[in-house]
Amino acid sequence: MVSEPSLSVVAPLFNESENVRPLVDWIGQALESYAGSYEMILVDDGSDDDTWAQVCAVAGPQVRGLRLGRNVGQTAAMMAGFDHARGSVVVSLDGDLQNDPRDIPALIAKLDEGYDLVCGWRQKRQDKLLLRKVPSWVANRIIRRLTGVPITDNGCSLKAYRRDLLSRVALYAEQHRFIPALSASVGARIAEMPVRHHARRFGESKYGISRTVKVLIDLLTLKMITTFRSRPLVGFALAAMPALGVAFLFGMLWVFSWTQFGPEKASALVFPGAALLAVGVALYLFMLGLVAEVALSSERVGTNDIPTAAEIR
Amino acid sequence: MEPTTAPTITTDRAGDARLISVVVPVVERTDDLVAVYHAFAGELDRRPEDYEFLFVFDGRYTPPPELVALSRDTGRIKLLRFVREFGETAALRLGIERSRGDLILTLPAYFQVLPQGVALLLEAVEGGADMAVANRSPRLDSWLNRAQSRVFHSIVGGVSEQRFHDMACGVRVMKRSVAETLPLYGDLHRFIPALALREGFRVQEVSVPQHPNDARMRVYRPGVYFRRLLDIAAFFFLAKFTEKPLRFFGLVGSIFLGGGGLLSLVLLVERVEGQGIANRPALLLAVLLVALGVQLIGLGLVGEIIVHLRAPHRRAYRVRERT
Repeated sequence: MVSEPSLSVVAPLFNESENVRPLVDWIGQALESYAGSYEMILVDDGSDDDTWAQVCAVAGPQVRGLRLGRNVGQTAAMMAGFDHARGSVVVSLDGDLQNDPRDIPALIAKLDEGYDLVCGWRQKRQDKLLLRKVPSWVANRIIRRLTGVPITDNGCSLKAYRRDLLSRVALYAEQHRFIPALSASVGARIAEMPVRHHARRFGESKYGISRTVKVLIDLLTLKMITTFRSRPLVGFALAAMPALGVAFLFGMLWVFSWTQFGPEKASALVFPGAALLAVGVALYLFMLGLVAEVALSSERVGTNDIPTAAEIR
Repeated sequence: MEPTTAPTITTDRAGDARLISVVVPVVERTDDLVAVYHAFAGELDRRPEDYEFLFVFDGRYTPPPELVALSRDTGRIKLLRFVREFGETAALRLGIERSRGDLILTLPAYFQVLPQGVALLLEAVEGGADMAVANRSPRLDSWLNRAQSRVFHSIVGGVSEQRFHDMACGVRVMKRSVAETLPLYGDLHRFIPALALREGFRVQEVSVPQHPNDARMRVYRPGVYFRRLLDIAAFFFLAKFTEKPLRFFGLVGSIFLGGGGLLSLVLLVERVEGQGIANRPALLLAVLLVALGVQLIGLGLVGEIIVHLRAPHRRAYRVRERT
């Protein structure tokens, strides 16, 4: 057993049996000149093929394998790797050889300049244009606008993290593509640097375009939890504002039509109806915000949500 | 009082003494209990492991005097009783909590399978499964009960990775770690195999011959079917959306909101063209859809915040092996 490596490389694998050995060899070569000690953590995410047998074949003191009980998805598989990583620096990359381990030393060097998270930015991305690149480009733009975190390529798995950061960001569902935004929301210093990207050599891609709709819904979640996590009432109150505006508008229209045409005109009912509906919606949202506050006050106990900070001197 | 003497542990192979806890939730009838005990205890007597029985009586039932006497004589029967009715899931949880075995065998309070089947289940767990569930086969039930069961399992099969055929069977063997991890509450005992699978455990279905007494025609009150439907809905939601409530509420909510918005737009155009809309039911519908849509999305967001704050304490994965 290697005692406390300084670097942990985490790779989730789902049905990547042909890629296991090349990946390990490649990472080994790339880190040959790495000064400290390192470990690799290969996470078999409930593969149906013989990925686990391959992992066992390459496992050793420097290469550790984890086999998950069932297929839980990339985010949870990465989380498993992070939870078992012992290094003070953790690097994640895809198990499909599309990321280039030769970029790892540069990422670490960048991290040492004083960042908590360094994200890879895939250059000359080797994926299908319509199915992968266009949706990803749109999603990245939206994420940037929504969260204000200036990262161009949120979807790149090749990232370097300081361990302290990982202990603060608990990822679940399909949040691995929101790592920069979630990290920024706890006060992490984030950098981005170009990395190489290769076409798939073995196996097939596990992504499809149907994800886009889900990603859009997830973006709403992301906004909620990054911006309003600590004050949900503010978020709901802000959402209630447009409804109140609409209510005011229709209320004015009602008053106007009442004074102009008199109370007997039937169509005038539309305006008070719409105004009351909007008031109702606004009130409902406000109440939900209160419910969220109450629910959270008890959930918060024991969670570490103090933002991280740099020690200046 | 509970017996204070610890059951003698028979060590067959050195250092491999195991205890099987048999948990019997009594929620339906008590007339077979003594016979069930004798039949299954007789089967377990032939095994190297030691065993204990825990009968958990739901509020409505009291232990029959013969069983109490038996419990006094053998010292390996524990009798527990709820003061009021809490249902089968709660009874199972109490039994599991009070048991001490490395393996837990759950049995219904009447004969569902032939006692010899227990050996098959234990064998499956010895063979590496974390949980073994009985699949009564061949089924001797009426066609009606078999049809009901098929519908139930095809619905549940839609969300779980492995297809089960007889989740209603209460005969299961599980390791202690599994029993203690299962999210058991409400009426979820019906989904135990699927829940274990979701937790990342290996679940094996084992064909076990059905007991002839079990082959009755069972027709339930409509209320029971309604509750089953609710159970399925709860399980479905739990399985698919626990980690991402907005995926569900957001989708349904945006469909409502979009439909309502579209309808409002149509009405607006018609109004501009000079048609009155105040007396149209479509207006009410549009209003209703918009309000519902906003509410659903709002609810989903509250759910997301709660899930987010729980996240540091829970993990979606379970490590099965490591090198």
